[in-house]
Amino acid sequence: MTLARLDAQSVARRASAEVAPGSVVAVSGDWSTAVADLVPAEKGVWFLRAGGTLSDLPISAADAGAVLRGGNVDLSILQAAQVDSNGSFAGYHAADYPGPQGHAGLIDLAGARRVVTVLPHTDADGSPNIVNSLTLPPDGVRCVDTIITDVAVFRVADTGLILTELAPGWSAEDVRTITGAAVTSAPTLREMDFALPPGNPTSKIYADGPSAIADLPDGATVFIDGFGGPGGMAHYLLISLRDRGSRNLTIVSNTAGIARVVSFGTPPGHTAIDHSVLVENGQVAKAIASFPVSPSVSRPSEFELAYRRGEVDLELVPQGTLAERLRAGGAGIEAFYTPTGAGTLIAEGKESRVIDGREYILEHGLRADFALIRAHRADTRGNLVYRGTSRNFNAVMAPGARVTVVEVDEIVQPGELDPEAVVTPGIFVQRIVRRPDGFTGYE
Amino acid sequence: MAFSKLYDSAAAAVADIPNGATVLLGGVSGANAPTALVSALADRNVRDLTCVCDSTYYGAEALHRLVAAGCVSRIISPAPFGSGKDDMVHELWRSGDLTVEVVPWGTLAERMRSAGAGIGGVFLPVGIGTRFAEGKEIRVVNGVECMFEPPLRGDFALIRAARADGVGNLVYVGAQRGWNSAVVSAARVAVAEVDQVVEPGSIDPELVITPGIFVNRIVRANSAPIG
Repeated sequence: MTLARLDAQSVARRASAEVAPGSVVAVSGDWSTAVADLVPAEKGVWFLRAGGTLSDLPISAADAGAVLRGGNVDLSILQAAQVDSNGSFAGYHAADYPGPQGHAGLIDLAGARRVVTVLPHTDADGSPNIVNSLTLPPDGVRCVDTIITDVAVFRVADTGLILTELAPGWSAEDVRTITGAAVTSAPTLREMDFALPPGNPTSKIYADGPSAIADLPDGATVFIDGFGGPGGMAHYLLISLRDRGSRNLTIVSNTAGIARVVSFGTPPGHTAIDHSVLVENGQVAKAIASFPVSPSVSRPSEFELAYRRGEVDLELVPQGTLAERLRAGGAGIEAFYTPTGAGTLIAEGKESRVIDGREYILEHGLRADFALIRAHRADTRGNLVYRGTSRNFNAVMAPGARVTVVEVDEIVQPGELDPEAVVTPGIFVQRIVRRPDGFTGYE
Repeated sequence: MAFSKLYDSAAAAVADIPNGATVLLGGVSGANAPTALVSALADRNVRDLTCVCDSTYYGAEALHRLVAAGCVSRIISPAPFGSGKDDMVHELWRSGDLTVEVVPWGTLAERMRSAGAGIGGVFLPVGIGTRFAEGKEIRVVNGVECMFEPPLRGDFALIRAARADGVGNLVYVGAQRGWNSAVVSAARVAVAEVDQVVEPGSIDPELVITPGIFVNRIVRANSAPIG
C-alpha cells in the first residue's frame, strides 16, 4: 500500500507553523505563497513578495530587495527544487531552465535571517530531492534551517539532517528510504504539528518617551533627524533622551543642532529644542553630520563650542552622501561609489576609482542602535506618513537602526492609513510614542 | 506648455527608439505592463534591442510580440526564460539569436537605482557562493563578503502608471509600483503609459511616488489592461 503524501495546501499549513506573530516573511513559489493566506491578520505578520508588495503595502522592487538585504526579513519560505544536508538549496531544475544561469528568482530570498524550504520529497520520477550534496546549481549556500516536505520535517544541523516530524502514517524508515541524504531521528520525533505559534504580536505603542528609550545605553549610535529648522525633529524624544542621560553617544544627523541658533519661527522668549540639549548635557562624544556648525559666527552652536573645547569628535559628511550612507545601511549595501566630494578634503583617506571617466570615492553604509524619528501619523503596526518637508531625513533613517522609535501626532488603527500613502512601512518601526498634547518643540 | 510631455499616441512616444537601444521595461504582465508602448515598439520593427525586465512570462504578451518580431537581441532579467523547452526565449537562445544575462531581482533593481541616483556601483552580499558571483570583483567589506555590481542605465524606460499630471508626476496602483517605479529613473528618456492625465496640482504631493523630473513623455493607455 502506498502511503499518502500531504497535498500542497497541507505543506503550506505546516510551513505556516514556522511563522512567528509580528514577523516579516518573504515568500516565493506556489507552495510558499499559499502560506500568506493561512495566517490570520491578527497575527500581524508581514508577507514580502518579490513583485513589490509587503502585505497590503505596495513597494518598489528596489525597496523589496533592500528589505531582504537589510536584515529586516525574519524568515524566507521558499519552494526549492533540491536541498542538501549542508542546507544549500537549488531553486529550479536545470532541465526546465536549460539556459546558462537558469533563473535568479530565489537568490535574494536566501539572504533572510532564517530560510525554510518547502518541496516535494521526491521528484515525479521518484528520485529524492533531499540529497547529501546538490547536483543542481545552488541558489543559496548553507542557509536553510528547516526543510518541510510532503512527508516529513527536517532540521539542518552542523552534523547533518535531523528528522523531527513525520506526516500522518509515515515512519522514520519510510522517510529514510526515499531520502537521498543521511538522516538522524530526533529524540523528540513526532507527528507533524500544523498549529500556528500561539500569541499575538506585542504592541509597539509606548506610554511615553522615557519608557520608549529606557534601554538606550551609553555608547550607543543614534540617528536623530532634523534639518536647520524645527520641522521634522523628534523634540519629545530628544528631551526624553536628555532626561535619561545616556552618555558617550555618537549622533548621526544632518545638523548637530543648529535650530536653536537659527531660530526659525521660535516664539520670543523661547529656545528651540534640538541636539544642543544633548550636547550641553555632556552626552555626545561624536557627531556624524553635514551641517554641524552655526551659520552665524557670532552665535555658535553648542556643538561648535564643545568641539572648540575638544570635548567632541566630528565626522563631516556631505548632505547627499549622508542620506545615501543612511539608505545603504538600511538597505544591506555595505559600500558604494559616489562622485560627491572626489578631489576635496572629503576624499582624504578614502578609496577613489575612475568609473566611465569620472572619479568616484568609496563610502560605507551607516547603521545605528537607535533611530529617534518624527512622523505625522502612525497606525498601530508602525506604518508612517509624514507631513510636507518634515519627511526629510526621517524616512531614510528608519530602516537602518536596530530599534527605531517614532514620535507622532496621532496613532490610528490598521487600515486607516491609505496603503498607497504610507512612506515608511511598519517593519522598520519598533516603538511608537505620541507627542503629548501641547508639547511644542520649544523650551 | 504644462502638457508638453503629453504625446498623442504610443507610436509617437517610441518613434525615436533606435536600433541597438537599451530599453528598461516596467512590470511586464497584466495591468502593470506598458502594453501599448511595447506593442508600438514591436510595430516599428526596430532591431538589436537590449530589454531589461522582471520576467518574460505571466501574461507578458506585449513583450512576447516584441521578441517574436525579432526586435530583441539581448534580455537582462532575473527570469528570462519561461519554464519548459518550448518557451520562445529558449528557442531563440538555443539558436543563438538571443543572448541572456540573468541577474537576481534585488540586485537588478539596485543597479538601476544606482544609475538613477548617480552611484558608481555598490557592494552587495547577494549571490555569494553561487554562479552569480563568477567573474565578479569580490571584496570583504565590514566583514561581509560582497560583490561589486555596476549601475545599469537605459536609453529608454517604458513604464505603466495609474495617473500622471501634466508635468509627469506619477502615482501607481498596488503592485504596479513594483518594477515601474524601479526602472523609471534609470533611463535617459522615460515614457509613461497612464490611465489618466490630470491637471498639475491635482495630485496630492504626499502621494506622488515618481516626481515628474524623471518622466519625459506621457501617453494615455488606450487599450484595456490585459489579464
